[in-house]
Amino acid sequence: MPDQLSLVKGTLDVLVLKTLSWGAMHGFEITAWLEDRSGGTLDVEDSALYQALHRLEERGLLSAEWGMTENNRRARYYTLTRAGRAHLRTETTRWLRYTATVSDILTAATRTA
Amino acid sequence: MLPPRARRFFRLAVRRRALIAREVDDEIAFHLEARVAQLVARAMSPEDARAEALRRFGDVDAARHTLNRSVTRHEARMHVKELLASSWQDIRYAARGIRRSPGFAAAVIVTLALGIGANATMFGVVDRLLLRPPAGVRAPDGVNRVYLTTANGFQGLQLGSNQSYRRYMDLAQHVHTTSDIAAHYERERVFGTGEGARQERTSMVSASFWHLTGVRPVLGRFFNESEDQLPSGTPVTVLGYGYWQSQFGGRGDVIGRALRIGGTDYTIIGVTPAGFSGLSLQSVAAFVPLTAGAADMFAEFGPRVKWSEQYRVGWLQTIVRRKPGVSVEAATADMTNAFRQSLEIQRQVEPAGLLAMNQMNPQATLGSVLESRGPRRSQSATVSLWLMAVSGLVLLMACANVANLLIARALRRQREIAIRQAIGVSRGRLLAQLLTESTLLALLGGVAGVLVAHWGGALLRSVLLPNLDWSSGVFDHRVLLFAGIVALGAGLVTGLAPIRQLASTDVASALRTGGRGASLRRSRLRKTLLVVQGAVSVILLVGAGLFVRSFRNVRSLDLGFQPANVLTIGVTARGTPLDSVQKEQLAVTMRERALTLPGVEHASRGLTIPFSSEWTQPIVVPGLDTSRLRDLFYIAPVSADYLATMGTRLLSGRTITDADRAGSEPVVVLSQSAAHRIWPGANPIGRCIKLGQETPCMTVVGTAQDIRSSFDDEPSLQMYVPITQQPQPEIRLFIRTRGDAAKSTELVRPSLQELMPGAAYVSADPLEDFVASEFRSWRLGATMFTIFGLLALLVAAVGLYSVVAYDVSQRTQELGVRVALGASAGKVIRLVLAEGVRVVALGLALGAVVALALANRVTPLLYHITGKDPITYAFVVFVLLAVALMASLVPALRASRVDPNIALRAE
Repeated sequence: MPDQLSLVKGTLDVLVLKTLSWGAMHGFEITAWLEDRSGGTLDVEDSALYQALHRLEERGLLSAEWGMTENNRRARYYTLTRAGRAHLRTETTRWLRYTATVSDILTAATRTA
Repeated sequence: MLPPRARRFFRLAVRRRALIAREVDDEIAFHLEARVAQLVARAMSPEDARAEALRRFGDVDAARHTLNRSVTRHEARMHVKELLASSWQDIRYAARGIRRSPGFAAAVIVTLALGIGANATMFGVVDRLLLRPPAGVRAPDGVNRVYLTTANGFQGLQLGSNQSYRRYMDLAQHVHTTSDIAAHYERERVFGTGEGARQERTSMVSASFWHLTGVRPVLGRFFNESEDQLPSGTPVTVLGYGYWQSQFGGRGDVIGRALRIGGTDYTIIGVTPAGFSGLSLQSVAAFVPLTAGAADMFAEFGPRVKWSEQYRVGWLQTIVRRKPGVSVEAATADMTNAFRQSLEIQRQVEPAGLLAMNQMNPQATLGSVLESRGPRRSQSATVSLWLMAVSGLVLLMACANVANLLIARALRRQREIAIRQAIGVSRGRLLAQLLTESTLLALLGGVAGVLVAHWGGALLRSVLLPNLDWSSGVFDHRVLLFAGIVALGAGLVTGLAPIRQLASTDVASALRTGGRGASLRRSRLRKTLLVVQGAVSVILLVGAGLFVRSFRNVRSLDLGFQPANVLTIGVTARGTPLDSVQKEQLAVTMRERALTLPGVEHASRGLTIPFSSEWTQPIVVPGLDTSRLRDLFYIAPVSADYLATMGTRLLSGRTITDADRAGSEPVVVLSQSAAHRIWPGANPIGRCIKLGQETPCMTVVGTAQDIRSSFDDEPSLQMYVPITQQPQPEIRLFIRTRGDAAKSTELVRPSLQELMPGAAYVSADPLEDFVASEFRSWRLGATMFTIFGLLALLVAAVGLYSVVAYDVSQRTQELGVRVALGASAGKVIRLVLAEGVRVVALGLALGAVVALALANRVTPLLYHITGKDPITYAFVVFVLLAVALMASLVPALRASRVDPNIALRAE
């Protein structure tokens, strides 16, 4: 099993938004998608994901609706709202700039005299 | 229509929680299921897969709990948002509707503004007189005013000066159920000296008053027990906020300055907060320690009056704060007990005139701290309550009218509404929209009504109740709140009327007939409203008529003297008291000076002021059984020229002259009724009257016209005696001027002030003021009833007009057919007029019956007229019928001009 990466606080929200930018999904689909993408390195309890989903819904970044899966099961589908999409954009920019800065510093060549 | 909808709404609310819980459970269950399926697909055994799924999920219960809360919050927010969005839409729709028909909107808003404004104004007055606790007093519910009664009725309740200092001290010592007990007394006192001297309201309060009220000074401090000790306290004073602002510009350095009040220089030590006026409704310029103020005030009465020792010198009022948890009943019983103990002490030191305890039946009453509420309500307060009820009726009429207008509008819009219904707008939304519209109109009316109340309040303030302290305003948040509630109520009530109509509208038929279909049943509801309006108009107009006639009766009453153009002059001796010889001298000089002034026609000395003060006592007539003369005679000590000054006619013999002096033969002039009461049918001239068994004979030398000293039914039994033969401790002059008495004050007062020795102060007041204050309640009633009555009449006329006009427009075809068949214009006019008048006549009959039923209750407030006065009723009937005819005439004329061609083609 690969090393487990515990999530930096607040990043789960962005990851969920990113996942949903591909289209409406239910909770398990999102979990599976994230696991798939991270190669299983993200250590997230499923319950935390659901709490994140509902929190985002409360903030108006997601909307939810009950629908049917391919197997005809009732599931709650989440969609990105307009506000959610905008939020994802700003958060992504911020995240990239942050990581770029951090990695610049961490990988900087030793100062030459 | 509404009830089942409402029931469903509540059911939903109850079930919502269960629903949310189930959905959250469903979502978690689905997830676990999907996970298990995923793991099984990766070749895990179902049992292991289940365990693994749970492990990966984490704490299921905790998750369920947070998700539940989150969904609940979210749903609530969404619900509010939807509600707001639809309300906003309704409001915009309503606003658009209102803008589209500005005439209709103006009619509704003005009607409601008058109704709401009238109510807010009256509420402001009633609130001030009867409801609002005194400003600035901590926990006013626990504070009571003490009234003491013995078998001879309420003691001095009307004078407002009921208890002696001695009694107050006794009560304070023997009462156990109160945490604070204080005494206060208010009176006009002269402030300052010389030219700048003015009369201002002063409150003498015990030091305990400050703790009882819980007021804190805005500047400086209040006085304490050590400064309120017998015999004459410490001369320190606390200024009222208003006086501090107006006289000292609100400056902080007033502390320590001296202020002359009455005959004493007081040191200013503090200022009360704005709006605080002690416990009365009038604003107070300064508060002084009870003992200091009393010592100064009673010094003017001479050394005979021992105010701090004698029980019979009653003047102050006692205020108590009950201990926490003590009921009014318990405190009353305790206070009665303290009163009995005080009476026992009084029996030891001052037994004269005290009945046995069981005959006296002493009783304490703890009344409201508001004096106007008292055990006996003041007449102004009673009239105000009537007016409050009346303004309620006006509002009712205004609402009926607005309902009528809204119904008419709803009918005109029936087609539009049917279309909206047909395209799928739900009935709930339609109703919400209509209610929004009427509520919006009502709120606009409320805003306009507040403006009306603002002006109405100013009118009331200045004209009708000038004595009250309105510095905290007629207009406070309570009145605004009241107006807001009334406006909302009016909006809902008027909005419901058309809804009842629309609820039963059949969409299809409404679309087909263009909304003319069911107008018959509807105009019956509108006509019922009209009948009610007519009835209310009758009641109000009858009330207005009765009060106006009462007021006229009071005004036109022959008082037997002419108060117009007469000034009454009083002297307040301050500092060094004058002895009786000096006083006599001063009075004579003042009269001589007054007679030299330009514009002064007559001047005379006197003592009592009609309608304000009196000296009454039984008399003795030699040779006549005294038991026949139980009546009290009014005795007026006067100088020469008195009858001419007052404008009272001499009927026979001679009047009092300068020749009647101390030592000359005692004489008396009788009023006609007095002479008639003593010697019916005989000539009284030359006969003898005594003021007591031991006093000398006074010979009757003349008779004068009857005068009235109050509005009681009988003229007073009046006797005039030479003031030189009945010397008085008080100086009083009456001056008849050629012009308006109030204007002459500026000429007369300074000129007489010059004659004053020391710090003595001259006051000059128009005699008419003393009379006028007595008929204020009738004037209040007459003015307000007339305003409300005319308002009601206007509202009813507009209502009648709109209904008749609407009917005519609805009956255009029918009328067209009649004209086509040969009906003359006159016949059509008569047809329409009869319709309007019939409705009003029904209202008239109904209103008259109600008014007659109320008549007995209003009679005590009237003067020389009964509540069933036929002239008033006849006049009201005439006015109302005339207005009904006029209101129906315009639409009737329009109906007579109907062109049958156009009318019939419109079908």
